[in-house]
Amino acid sequence: MENILTIHGLSKRYGKIRAVSGLSLEVGRGQVFGILGPNGSGKTTTLSTILELIRADSGTFEWFGKPPSKTSRKRIGSVIESPNFFPYLTAANNLRIVCDIKEIGYGDIDRVLTLTGLYERRNSRFRTFSFGMKQRLAVASALLGNPEVMILDEPTNGLDPQGIAHIRALIQQVAAQGTTIIMASHLLDEVQKLCTHVAVLSKGKKLFDGKVSEVLSVSDSYELSARSLDALDRIVRTHPEFQSVTPTDGYLQVWFHREVDPGELNRFFYEQGLVLTHLSVRKRTLEQHFLALIDHEA
Amino acid sequence: MKRLLQIEFRKILTYRIFWILTGLYFLFLVLGLLMAEFMINNMVNDINRRLPIPIPHVAIYFFPWVWQNITFFATIRYVLIFPAIVIIILITNEFTYKTIRQNVINGLSKGEILVSKLMIIFLFSFVMTVLLAIGTLIIGIANTSEITAGLIFDKSIFILGFFMTMLTFQVFALFCGFLLRNTGLSIAIFTLYSLIIEPIVYYFLKSPLVFENNISKYLPVNTVISITEYPAIPVLKQVMGLHLQDSLTLSGCLIPAGYAILMLGIVYWVMVKRDL
Repeated sequence: MENILTIHGLSKRYGKIRAVSGLSLEVGRGQVFGILGPNGSGKTTTLSTILELIRADSGTFEWFGKPPSKTSRKRIGSVIESPNFFPYLTAANNLRIVCDIKEIGYGDIDRVLTLTGLYERRNSRFRTFSFGMKQRLAVASALLGNPEVMILDEPTNGLDPQGIAHIRALIQQVAAQGTTIIMASHLLDEVQKLCTHVAVLSKGKKLFDGKVSEVLSVSDSYELSARSLDALDRIVRTHPEFQSVTPTDGYLQVWFHREVDPGELNRFFYEQGLVLTHLSVRKRTLEQHFLALIDHEA
Repeated sequence: MKRLLQIEFRKILTYRIFWILTGLYFLFLVLGLLMAEFMINNMVNDINRRLPIPIPHVAIYFFPWVWQNITFFATIRYVLIFPAIVIIILITNEFTYKTIRQNVINGLSKGEILVSKLMIIFLFSFVMTVLLAIGTLIIGIANTSEITAGLIFDKSIFILGFFMTMLTFQVFALFCGFLLRNTGLSIAIFTLYSLIIEPIVYYFLKSPLVFENNISKYLPVNTVISITEYPAIPVLKQVMGLHLQDSLTLSGCLIPAGYAILMLGIVYWVMVKRDL
């Protein structure tokens, strides 16, 4: 697959703090790529670097297979942190400036304003907008000229539930057209809903990357108990889907490679001559899973 | 080029503070010019009371001297500071609103950002020069009894000095704005330096023994306002034989231009090195 963005060993320090260290990534055309990590994990630093706002201490990156330049940036629509516009200019005039920079006609302005629900307010000054409208104008500006790539940094941060739903629907709509999207978020559930691929960052380092369905797969665990925990431990390891087991006072916590029906599990032990005294399924929330991922590696 | 200008025009066209400050500058300029002749004659009247032979009434706004006098009064520090503050605001706004970040993200290079601000400075200075030239022609025609074409344009080279002064002083302002990035701080430091610190340093550096060739005249703001160094008051020439400045000098123009080029170089270097 053709790579839109390739990052090799990117590092950036702020004094003693390593914001990003040795980060390598590949984003292919058409992916919705999530960069997931808690606050301070280096997401914004990474995005700012690949947009040439800040200089990396070491490492390189390529856009569309070429070294970065202003020409490559014109093919990217970006929303980084806060929406940055001239407060005294109208929404339409702010977007005209963006069109002039990207060297595209003004014809697309009405379309993006309509898409983001701001068309009625196109002649209002940016200063008069609510936070949600400002954020939507930033998304509108990123959509100008149908860019090949969109970069979104915490696109739903600070929005009300309705605003979040609106922006997410827009992202899905744009992704469906085949636009590559690179999105930073600290919300696991957002990444899971919107992204096809993900890289998990913690303290500036990449912990995992891959398809969302693989990296963020959530498996339930089972709490099992029997008269003899030793026998239980021995037998459970023979189960064809067995993954791992952790003793927790009086129970064994067991993971399987795929979901196992509790009834079948019960029968499995019974057929091996062991009667379970306790069986319960422990649902794991996404957040617990995410924390476990980060804890495990840190 | 056209594209960069179009972007800058859009930022300025509906920006009220820009027009208010530019208007104020013009108001002060016109008032200052009207006051200048009046104040000089007030002084003359004052001196005349103690002199046996009275100095005649002083007129300064007739051809060809009107060119030199108007450009001299239009480029004193206290007037010049207004357009410089306008430029500082236009530049530091980009940092305050973080639009400089957004412009880079959208596909401008740092060099293009610097060039677009330089074009605005050039254009702003040019328009001011044209307006001042028109004003000078009107004032000159109104105050000169016998007008010939040669007389009108004899000292008109001084209007070029006004353009040079505007251009270089605003580059100084650009330098300050790009390095400090904060509007209030930039205006405060620039004003403090131009109006107070440099005159003090000038005073202490200037050796009372050496009239010419003292290093104080190479202080940056001083080189700029010295492009048009003295007014031409004909009566002083006649009475005291003072012959201070006949025309612009090459060194007088090149030294401030050198400062401006150096500052532009530093700004570009810092911009490339510094994170936005």
